Amino acid sequence: MIKHLMIGTFLAGAMASSAAAETVNILMEGVPDTEYVKTLLPEFKAKTGIDVNVEVVNYAEMHTKLVPQLVAPKGSYSAIVVDFYWVGEFTKAGWLSPLDERITADKIDTSVYVPKLMDLVGKVDGVTYMLPFYNYAMGLLYRKDLLDDAKNKADFKAANGFDLAPPKTWDEYLKQVAFFTKDGMHGVVNQGLRPDPIAMEWSNYLFANGDEYHDDSWKPTFNNEKGAAALDQYATNVNKYGPVGSASFSFDEAFNVMAQGKAYSYITYNFFRAAIDDPAKSSVVGKVEIMPVPGPNPETGASLNGAWGWAIPKSSPNPDAAWTFIKWVESHETAKKRALQGGSPTRSDIFDDPEVNAKYPYAQALKKMLLTSHNFPVFTYTPQLVEVLGRELSLAVAGEKKSADALATVETEFIELAKKDGKLK
Amino acid sequence: MARTEIDRADARFGWMMAAPALATLFFVILFPVLWALFTSVHDYTLINPHFDNYSGLANFRRAITDPEFRHSLGLTAFFVVAVVVLEFLLGFLVALMLNTVQRMKPVYYGILLCPLLMNPVVVGLIWRMFLHPSLGIVNYLLGVVGVAPVNWLGSTKVALWTIIMVDIWHQVSFMVVLLLAGLSALPREPYEAARVDGANALQSFWHITLPLMLPIIVVTLLIRLIFAVRTYDLIYIMTRGGPGVATDLVSYFIYRTAFVSLNIGEASAMAIVLMGIVLLLTAFLHRYMRSLT
Repeated sequence: MIKHLMIGTFLAGAMASSAAAETVNILMEGVPDTEYVKTLLPEFKAKTGIDVNVEVVNYAEMHTKLVPQLVAPKGSYSAIVVDFYWVGEFTKAGWLSPLDERITADKIDTSVYVPKLMDLVGKVDGVTYMLPFYNYAMGLLYRKDLLDDAKNKADFKAANGFDLAPPKTWDEYLKQVAFFTKDGMHGVVNQGLRPDPIAMEWSNYLFANGDEYHDDSWKPTFNNEKGAAALDQYATNVNKYGPVGSASFSFDEAFNVMAQGKAYSYITYNFFRAAIDDPAKSSVVGKVEIMPVPGPNPETGASLNGAWGWAIPKSSPNPDAAWTFIKWVESHETAKKRALQGGSPTRSDIFDDPEVNAKYPYAQALKKMLLTSHNFPVFTYTPQLVEVLGRELSLAVAGEKKSADALATVETEFIELAKKDGKLK
Repeated sequence: MARTEIDRADARFGWMMAAPALATLFFVILFPVLWALFTSVHDYTLINPHFDNYSGLANFRRAITDPEFRHSLGLTAFFVVAVVVLEFLLGFLVALMLNTVQRMKPVYYGILLCPLLMNPVVVGLIWRMFLHPSLGIVNYLLGVVGVAPVNWLGSTKVALWTIIMVDIWHQVSFMVVLLLAGLSALPREPYEAARVDGANALQSFWHITLPLMLPIIVVTLLIRLIFAVRTYDLIYIMTRGGPGVATDLVSYFIYRTAFVSLNIGEASAMAIVLMGIVLLLTAFLHRYMRSLT
């Protein structure tokens, strides 16, 4: 009996230690792209013998779970996914391992990635810390069936003097929002919850009015007439053309309004394009299309860029196995399989792949959206900037502050943060 | 009287037996408080997590002069008074009614305890769904009786009251249970004597129930007050402090300073300020309670 127990214990111990040596632990957010990766993990196991243990949590918990593991000399995560919000902070704190040597040794071609994404979640000051995982650039979801309706076309032309079609400019879009707010329909639904839903959505309004957050020397450039107009337009859309309560909607609640057919348009993350065609979640299947957020003129897009990147933390217990996983998950073959399931690509060759385009005709619109997108300021204090922006925008939407005053406060705090980070001299 | 060897041995044995509990108390209660105190006088951020730059009272000065922090302190004071008073009034009323109930008491107890057993995050999520302005059941039911949809969480004038209402729904049973325990432990004799003397129900309540219940009421209010100051989950799930800064309660504010701004030093200073206020209040109520007995 004792002999059996000892053998059993020995075997279990041996199995556990061999399993521990061959397991890649990753913390990921519960989003569609994570699910696509999970479906492909058996292929990775078959190929390399390495187990992958994906711990899926809500976005809100990710940062608080990650930081203690990153600070520790030996953490429990082999690889991590990094939101662009955290890139400045994680690299400044020195928590991520540079990947350049591995990239060179394995001859990985990073030029296949959309350059804007490499800027956002790839390179920092010339050093590659991440490979872009998926993008969540924001686009304009709109009801194409309403645009095609003959009566709508005639009424819109009579009222505005130009044809009703997917908006070519931001002004055209705002006129459509006003036009479609009738008979219980809303021209738009917004995600006005602070801090990130409102800050991210409003950024599109800022770019659509022709502004940016800062110039090359990090001097703020949003506290002006265009910025104030962008904020006034946002407040009007929430309070006049949107459903009651959208000032406190997160993206899931706003999406539900769109999916129940109660709004003409919604500026949101591009992964909702696939979700809106899911009959289990949506009553407007086949009636909604996505396009880049229109800019001040037909040539300029106003979409906000956003993405996640794969990285290996310095505290990784097994960086080599983590790199094997990242190489596999970002290979052309795996990236294509993820995209065919509905994932949001980051590689140009996947956007241009014939099979992907045949299955998702809007792939080219997504690519155009990325190419004409604008980046949010990425520095050590991005999360604080989002916090300040969320608070002030929310105050302006609630009518408790004038747009110009709210932006002046954001500007003051932005300067303070940029100086603290050494970006602004 | 001189201590004998046996007394000393007894004392040693006593300390030995108490040592594990004392050590545990030190590590789980005193140590974090001391650590927070130590951190609050250093410029300690998660980006630079070192105690090499002593900053004196700078963190406290920054916290106290920060208008956002002062706003959230004021808002928290209002919130705490509102929930404690309303929950007490409602809870006492229900406890008095339940105290006279003879049959089905466990059933009422069971129903009342349901909200209390729920995690605040779950409570927040459920109510966020119920209160969805266009898709929620509350506005739907109001619509059935002809009331216009209410902007529960999106209006700066309504949002804090919505949170107060949800908190009452969640926590009122706590008051009921504690007050009911107190009521059922009251002696019967004074009531019988009062009845013989011709006192009516209101007089019995005012002259017997209330004075006898006072110590229990004070303890109940004290515990609820301390819990209410810490309210964080509901805000996090339901409003994130918005719209504007209408529901930016102090616990959520401190959390953001620590884990969004990564400024553990300043967050610790804020936490110490908050702890000081709660300690003062507790000391005051505690003394008041002792003066009653």
